[in-house]
Amino acid sequence: MTETMIRLEGLTKRFPGQTEPAVEGLTMDILEGEIVVLVGPSGCGKTTTMKLINRLIEPTSGRIFLEGVDITRSNPDQLRRRIGYVIQQIGLFPHMTIFENIATVPRMLRWEEDRIRRRVDELLDMVGMDPPRYRDRYPKELSGGQRQRVGVARALSADPPVMLMDEPFGAIDPITRERLQDEFLRIQSEIRKTIVFVTHDIDEAIKMGDRIAILRERSQIAQYDVPEVILANPADEFVKDFIGSGAALKRLGFSFVQDLELAQWPTARIDDDRDTMLRAIRRALANRGWLLLLDDQRRPRRWVTARDLQRADTPTGAMGQEVKAVVPSEATLADALNEMIRTQSSFAVVVDASGAYRGTIDFTVVTTTGDDAAAGGLPGQAQANDEQAGEVGGRSLRP
Amino acid sequence: MTMATHSDRPAMAFRLGRYFLMPAFIAAVCASLFVYLSQQEPDRIVAQRLNFDSIVDSTLRHLYLVGVSTVLVIAIAVPLGILLTRPFARTLTPPFVTVANTGQAVPSFGVIVLFALTLGFGVRYAIAALTIYAFLPVLRNTMVGLQQVDPSVIEAGRGMGMSKRAVLAKIELPLAVPVVLAGVRTALVLNVGTATIVTLTDAGGLGDIINAGLVTNRTLLVVTGGVLTAALALLVDYIAAIAENVLRPRGL
Repeated sequence: MTETMIRLEGLTKRFPGQTEPAVEGLTMDILEGEIVVLVGPSGCGKTTTMKLINRLIEPTSGRIFLEGVDITRSNPDQLRRRIGYVIQQIGLFPHMTIFENIATVPRMLRWEEDRIRRRVDELLDMVGMDPPRYRDRYPKELSGGQRQRVGVARALSADPPVMLMDEPFGAIDPITRERLQDEFLRIQSEIRKTIVFVTHDIDEAIKMGDRIAILRERSQIAQYDVPEVILANPADEFVKDFIGSGAALKRLGFSFVQDLELAQWPTARIDDDRDTMLRAIRRALANRGWLLLLDDQRRPRRWVTARDLQRADTPTGAMGQEVKAVVPSEATLADALNEMIRTQSSFAVVVDASGAYRGTIDFTVVTTTGDDAAAGGLPGQAQANDEQAGEVGGRSLRP
Repeated sequence: MTMATHSDRPAMAFRLGRYFLMPAFIAAVCASLFVYLSQQEPDRIVAQRLNFDSIVDSTLRHLYLVGVSTVLVIAIAVPLGILLTRPFARTLTPPFVTVANTGQAVPSFGVIVLFALTLGFGVRYAIAALTIYAFLPVLRNTMVGLQQVDPSVIEAGRGMGMSKRAVLAKIELPLAVPVVLAGVRTALVLNVGTATIVTLTDAGGLGDIINAGLVTNRTLLVVTGGVLTAALALLVDYIAAIAENVLRPRGL
């Protein structure tokens, strides 16, 4: 999986009549099975760079390698049949049915009709469109989102190892766009194509990219790395500006709750008797004051104080406070933060896949992790926060 | 899908209605003309022209002139239109369009007489003149039809590995068909009218009847020739409209 799929070597494109080259001396390796996002301000040459790869634009100088073979001089039509191509305007053929649209490349490759039919149905299924229902329709009978799905299916038709996608979701409303992005990531997790993806939207780049190349004018690489590193360590002011002020927040989407050291609270089972519960509170550190009651499957149920326990008239199930903020351990810190804000708590209870208690995560742990260069587990820091947890937690829990 | 079937039904009914309306109208016009003519007392000159054989002869000759010239127009103007819209011909396009426009601006009478005087009389030169006169609408519509094809559709085709020729044959031309056909229809109707003039250059057609009427001061002949020409123009337009509907690619 770490083979180089596409290699660009000293690529330069100078359009006639322009003083500045659109792309200058670009060298770049794109690894097999990765989504590489080319992102940059408009006019930086990212689309030109993409079109150099399938040679819709011929380079002035430099070389392009696909799977180790120099394709700079090979037949461009043959080459393009091995490279899927999706553009923002989609470009479905309006006078052809969905079937004919998707069958275009397989037909050029002279597949048998039977094989084409099976492939088209398979692809329609993959992009979530019922084949019998949509096969024989014309593009104008589809919604924008459906057309883009067909565009992706058409690009995948001959199972090309490489896909080029030029702002594929750019012209689609934000809600549909998000759904298509998620769907596409799901499809990609199965087909593992090498994808070059162009966008001007840094958020889309962070979401879609295994690796992001931030380009400045003349397609010069400002930084080429995985999103986490770009967010944590922008190479220079240009990158920092381009990522924008939300970088710290965006990084929370790359750190996972389970990588942090969780704070522990005294717990008891909700059907224990009150003396056991009181003993559990007293056994714990003095500054905690709260006890977490778990049910028989260790799922968090209620927060109680010693005072709640001494009030004999309330049944155990209604004592204290309900547990509000709960996050699964595979959630990102962004999810955890969201949950805390949603429930107006300063910390959240972390549970495993079955919903059983694992520990708690504190607001300050989230914020300090987001602020630190190395995203991920920081045992020392988590420890330090551990001591504040009770205090902060207690404050938020007080009715 | 349900949407499509629902909207199809009234459209079909409407189209069927239109399909019958025009032939019925043309038939009614011809019948009225026949009734009117049979009530007249023709003199020798009129009778010589207004008999069944003579009218059929003139009509067939007229159709021949229109048909051959239109086929020639299509055969020359469509390929030229394709050529002029290719990127390499970009510099040639404006002069060609100018020449074609000028040809259209010269009165048809002038073109035909000019042709007769310089090249000669007879059917062959009449057809050449008609071809030149109907050239512009087809050329212009071919070019416009090709230019209005969405560039992203062409880019998608090229990006998928279709050759330039394949893109032209499978994408550009089919998508240009409705516009090209509209130009052909204009040329046809134009030619039915213009072909009445070539009688002056001894090429025959329905113009013979009109001209004979004018020369001998027989209004009956002029009216008959005029009505027949108009009916023929409507009929040709009607048939061309059906052809347009049938040949337009589905999905547009």
